[in-house]
Amino acid sequence: MKRLALVAAVALFALPAVAQSRQTQSAIRGSGTYGTAGCGLGSLAFGNTPGAVQIFAATTNGLFGTQTFGITTGTSNCGPGLFAIGTKNFVEANREALAKDISRGAGEAIGALTVINACEDSSRVGAALQKNFGAIFPSDQVSNDDVTKVILETLHGDATLGCGRG
Amino acid sequence: MTSVAALLVFLTAAAGTADASATPTSTPTATATPLDLGALVARARALHLADDPGWLRLGKWRRTLLGGRESQVDGREFFLAKDGKHDPAAELEATLAGFLDGRPRATELDDPACRFPARLLFLGERLGFDRSRLPPRACPKLDDYLDRVRPKGVTFVFSSYYLNNPASAFGHTLLRLDKTGEARTGKDAELLDYGVDYAATVDTGNALLYAAKGLLGFFKGEFKHYAYYYKVRQYGDYESRDLLEYELELSPGEVALLAAHVWEMGGTFLRYWYLDENCSYHVLAAIEAAAPRLDLLRYVGPRVVLPSETVQALFRNPGLVRAVHYRPSIRTQFEARVRGLDRAEAALVERLESEPGASLPAGLAPDRQAAVLDAAVDLLDLRNARALLMGKDPAAALRRQALLVRRAALPVQSPPLAIADRPELRPENGHRTLRLGAGGGVAREAGAFTQVDLRLALHDLGDPPEGYPPFAQIEFVPLRLRLYTDDRRVELDDVSIVEVTSLSPVNRFDLRPSWRMRAGATTVRDAGCDRCVAGAAELGGGFTAARLLGALDLLALAETELLYSPRLSGTDGRGVRAGLGPSAIARVRAGTAATFLAEARWRWYPAAAPESGYQLTAGVRLHAGRNLSLALEGRRTPEDDEVSATVFGYF
Repeated sequence: MKRLALVAAVALFALPAVAQSRQTQSAIRGSGTYGTAGCGLGSLAFGNTPGAVQIFAATTNGLFGTQTFGITTGTSNCGPGLFAIGTKNFVEANREALAKDISRGAGEAIGALTVINACEDSSRVGAALQKNFGAIFPSDQVSNDDVTKVILETLHGDATLGCGRG
Repeated sequence: MTSVAALLVFLTAAAGTADASATPTSTPTATATPLDLGALVARARALHLADDPGWLRLGKWRRTLLGGRESQVDGREFFLAKDGKHDPAAELEATLAGFLDGRPRATELDDPACRFPARLLFLGERLGFDRSRLPPRACPKLDDYLDRVRPKGVTFVFSSYYLNNPASAFGHTLLRLDKTGEARTGKDAELLDYGVDYAATVDTGNALLYAAKGLLGFFKGEFKHYAYYYKVRQYGDYESRDLLEYELELSPGEVALLAAHVWEMGGTFLRYWYLDENCSYHVLAAIEAAAPRLDLLRYVGPRVVLPSETVQALFRNPGLVRAVHYRPSIRTQFEARVRGLDRAEAALVERLESEPGASLPAGLAPDRQAAVLDAAVDLLDLRNARALLMGKDPAAALRRQALLVRRAALPVQSPPLAIADRPELRPENGHRTLRLGAGGGVAREAGAFTQVDLRLALHDLGDPPEGYPPFAQIEFVPLRLRLYTDDRRVELDDVSIVEVTSLSPVNRFDLRPSWRMRAGATTVRDAGCDRCVAGAAELGGGFTAARLLGALDLLALAETELLYSPRLSGTDGRGVRAGLGPSAIARVRAGTAATFLAEARWRWYPAAAPESGYQLTAGVRLHAGRNLSLALEGRRTPEDDEVSATVFGYF
């Protein structure tokens, strides 16, 4: 089971580095920014707004990007490279929903983190994260990097959760 | 994973493609002899491969009016042959030549074997060559993409109607490339799957230009892929749209071909047409390209393609949809949470949303406290989605944090929310989108008449209810013509270019207003002119109360209207008449068998003669199944009273 989860994690680790993705000469061009989507009419562009709105811009940038498997070199300073990038990407795009699910100790975001980090049981993961909510989200202003760091510490620092080792 | 290995894996999978007309693939000879371009071209010609639907669909070649072919793809890099856009045979042969050409290229995408993996799968399978016999080359970007998506299954996703944005009014469709064969077994991984859709790249912030460019094909349409969780956040949380996920039954070869086809499409662009070649059209076209055994596009359009129609097209292929899953929006989730609370608890939810520190009753058990707090956070998110996401409301963010901290302090893990599936909301269960009606009636003054009713799309408050949102009316070119028998006069009773009515039932948690608008023309039925046809624009806002006494929906509006006709005696005697006044609509639905609908409107026409006017209509629609209705209606205006009966068919 653990090996299967690890294989799944390997398959999933190549999630695109999103909000900071450069406008690469990518195989498949994504262009323009992307707001609340209609039936394909993209809608009025947000322009270069910073912050959480990049969640939308990310859907058009760096999609078929040139991210190579250099991700294993652990460019993130959050911890074990493999799980770090996946968790970081997920936190960036799902921060609000993730905070909610962690406060509840359950939810789809918990399940996704379980898969990303190759843990054994999303229910135990949920309980562990819920207990540590205060450290993960000490305020509403905490950075995504810090959130990711504490999540990774919580998951990979607790052997009973059976999360993969980076 | 090297490109050779990746494509070999694909070819092996593709060998399982359910294509009855596949020629037996020749087994590679013991010595890997290099392929001969001439022999391959000759074999392709003998098999008429360039006319094969599999080939034509991959390149999106369609028949033109003059009998030739033209590809819908507009990017030049998509064609290797000089006139590839109009000549699928030349394009096929140029592709083969490109595959066999082993010279190094400047960039990966200059190499046809890297740019066109779907063509490689198709041609390789039909002409009996495999990847190993082509000159070796590396395709790192393609490999990266394939490794990231790694689909084992495909799910078609429909997001429900969202009337607050005209572009979303009819819904949206996209594909999800599932990493597990059975979507539900990989339940927690669904958010990490990749979504694919076709969308216009919008380069203007001006609403009028946006509409014009969208309708006239001046936007570039591109295929994009992204992590599915973006879409869930965007549709489910931010826009409160339910998602319906239709798992498709496709063979491994077809799934592989779809992934490869999306790659090919992603490298180019098409002209985006809001009405017909829009997002839902191209999503369907992509499925058809990956599985030529399916016929999907013939069931939609041709002039207008609606997302709900594309869902219906799926079901015209028996067995294509293997399972349907309902992913409720945050609004739906919130309503479900509230139903699980008693009155006192619901009142607490309301309080907590604005006062996170409000104290909870001492006797309230921890799991009930958790339920109340969960609902309060959902309510806060519902009310502040946009502001929270844009970081525009720091106070709301602080309140949210306070609620989350409070919830996390309870050592209770929330149980999964049980939300009943709503099959009545599924578009495949809806009436067809084109409506035609024929009937007749009699008016007190004008005499007997026959009438013909046409509506291009989509749904009004009185149509058979299944498959459509209960509180939305969206009509595209509804038209009613009459022939009065006595004086053989043809009259345009009413027509609209578009008519939208959006009802938002109010409850203690939701006070959003309802609104209605339309632009069209109508026959004036008061003393302002003698039954002249006037251009009309109307706009109104108000409130809706739904399910009163169980079955009554009531909408009360304040409306403004503008009529124009040279023959109209309007404001200050001119041809334009402004009107202002209240309207009310009442509806009672008797299950799916009948709908009673009544409307009353009164208008004040300042500085015009007459000074006021009114219209009362009342009727019943009896539904025989989903695609047939009988309407009995009565109408009273200052000029005349009438009754009519019409039979409606939906096509």
